[in-house]
Amino acid sequence: MCPGAIESSSNPTKAVIGVDIGSISSKAVILSDAGILSWAIVPSRGNLRTAADEVVSQALVKASLSVVDISHVVATGYGAANASLANQLANDISCQGIGVSYLFPSVRTVVDIGGQFSRAFRVDNEGRTVAFVLSEKCAAGSGRLLQVIARVLQVDVQELGELSLKSNNKVDFTTGCAVFNESEAVSRIAEGALKEDIAAGVHRALAAKIQSLVERLGFEPDCALVGGGAKNIGLVRSIEERLGINVLIPHEPQIVAALGAALIAEEKSGTKSTVSQEKTKGY
Amino acid sequence: MAEYFAGIDIGSTMTKVVIVNEAVVASVIVATGPEHRKLANRVMEEALAIAGLDFDKITYVVATGYGRINVPFADRQLTEISCHARGVSSLLPTVRTVIDIGGQDCKGIKLHNGQVVDFVMNDKCAAGTGRFLEVIAEGLGIRLEEMGELSLIAKNEVSISSTCTVFAEQEVVTKLAEGVPVANLVTGVHKAIAARIYGMVSRLKIEPDVAITGGGARNIGLVRALEPRLGYPTMIPDEPLLTGAIGAALLGKDAVRNASENNLPLARIRHPLQELTFFT
Repeated sequence: MCPGAIESSSNPTKAVIGVDIGSISSKAVILSDAGILSWAIVPSRGNLRTAADEVVSQALVKASLSVVDISHVVATGYGAANASLANQLANDISCQGIGVSYLFPSVRTVVDIGGQFSRAFRVDNEGRTVAFVLSEKCAAGSGRLLQVIARVLQVDVQELGELSLKSNNKVDFTTGCAVFNESEAVSRIAEGALKEDIAAGVHRALAAKIQSLVERLGFEPDCALVGGGAKNIGLVRSIEERLGINVLIPHEPQIVAALGAALIAEEKSGTKSTVSQEKTKGY
Repeated sequence: MAEYFAGIDIGSTMTKVVIVNEAVVASVIVATGPEHRKLANRVMEEALAIAGLDFDKITYVVATGYGRINVPFADRQLTEISCHARGVSSLLPTVRTVIDIGGQDCKGIKLHNGQVVDFVMNDKCAAGTGRFLEVIAEGLGIRLEEMGELSLIAKNEVSISSTCTVFAEQEVVTKLAEGVPVANLVTGVHKAIAARIYGMVSRLKIEPDVAITGGGARNIGLVRALEPRLGYPTMIPDEPLLTGAIGAALLGKDAVRNASENNLPLARIRHPLQELTFFT
C-alpha cells in the first residue's frame, strides 16, 4: 500500500481500480460512477511487480486519468501482494463472483478456465460465492492442454478455436494426461489426421474434464464461462455440447476478477455506481 | 533334444525378446519404434542369431506388452500382468508384491504362490511413469540414465509441489534458473514420483518381498526414494526390463507342457518369420 496512491481530490469523476495479478497475465479495470472507463491486460512475464505497475498505468492512460484521480484500489489474484498501489486485497473467487453477477445477474454457475487450472463455483443472487471446486493440478484440465496441442499442430493457441470449427471428424483422445495427449496428437498427425480434427478432439477432451468439475460442484443455470478458455469458441461449443446448455460469455472474459475487485473498491470508497448495470453490460 | 521358447514384450518405449530352454539363452532389448511388426521380426532375428538357432527350432512364441497384437509370428498373446507375474516368480520366488515402472505406465501386482491375486495399473497419466522422468530429464538437459546416480550426490533435497508432469517440468526448470543444483532437483523429482507410485500401489496390500521391475528399477535414486515409502527393502532382477519377456516365454513353455501332459490340443496361430510391412 503506497501512501502516495490515495490523495483526496475534488475531482468530481472519482474513479477506482481493480487489479488482478495472475501467473500468466495481469488485468486492471477502472470504474467510475459512469461505469467502466477502461481496462488493460498485460502478460505477467514472471515479474509480477512490473506487471502490476504496467497494467495499472496502461488502464490509466486509456481512461485519460492519473493516479491522483483514483480513490481506491483493490488487488486480487495469485500475485495480488505485488500491486503496490493497492489499498486492499481481495480473494479472487469472490471478485470473480461479484464481477460475473454485475455483468450477468442471472448467473448461478461460473466456470473459470485459466492457463494452469480450472475451477467452477456457484454464486447467489447477490454475487456471493456459495460453493466452489478446483481442478486437480493437472495440465489436461486447464488451458495448458490447449497450448501443448497447439504447439504440436504448429498453430497459435488463439487460432485453435476457429480451426476446430471446420472439423467433421473429431479425433478421440484416450487418456486424460496432457503429456500422453501430446503423443497421441503426434501419432494421429503421422496417420494423416487433419489439424482441425485434432483441435476439435482436444476441445472435447478438455470439455469432459470441465464437465466432471461442474458435476462435482452441482450445476445450476444460468452458467457463465470466464478466463482465457472462454475466448476459445471451439472449447465453448464443446462445453455447451457436454453440459447441454448455452453459456454466457462476457465480452472480455479475462477481466472479470479485476472488475469484481473494482466493484469492491467502489463500495469501499463510497462512490457506488448509480449507473444501471444494463448500461455497462456490453462494455 | 532341448526345446526352446521365445517371449516378446513390445512395450510403449522398449521392446524385449528372450529365448529360453532351461535358462535364458538369448535376450535383446531395443527401443520401440513406430513400426511394431518390422521391429518384432528384426528383434526376433537378432535373438535367434545370438542363440544360434533357426526360427523353426522355437517350439512356442508368446507375445505380450501393449504392442502384442503386432507380432504376427506369435502363437499366443498374453497380458503383461500375467507375464510379469510369471517372470518375477521364476526369478525371485519369494516376491509377493511387484511394482513395474514402465516407460508409459506403472503397475502394481500382488502374487500368491506365483499366481496374480490383485493388480492396479496407471496408463492414463504420465505422472508416476517413466515418461515423467523422461520429460524432467529433458527439461533439465540431462540424460535419463544419469538421473539415478546424480541424485545420490545431492546435498539437499528440493521439494517438487506439482504432481502433473507438465507443471513439474515447469517447476524444475524455474528452480534450475534460480540456481538450485541439478542433483538436488533430481532427488526431489524422485521423491515426487515415488509418492505418486506409492499412492497407486498402496491400493494393494503391500507385503514383502517387494520387487521393482521395468526401466524404473534401473534408476537407483528412484528405488532409494521408494523404499522408505514402501517400508520394505526391494529386490531387483539382474535385468529388470526382461521380466515380462521371460514370463511370456515361460508361460509358453507351461502351455506346451500342460498340453502334452494332459493330451490336450495346443492352440497355435503362428505365421512364418518374415519381413512384414504395415500393409501386410
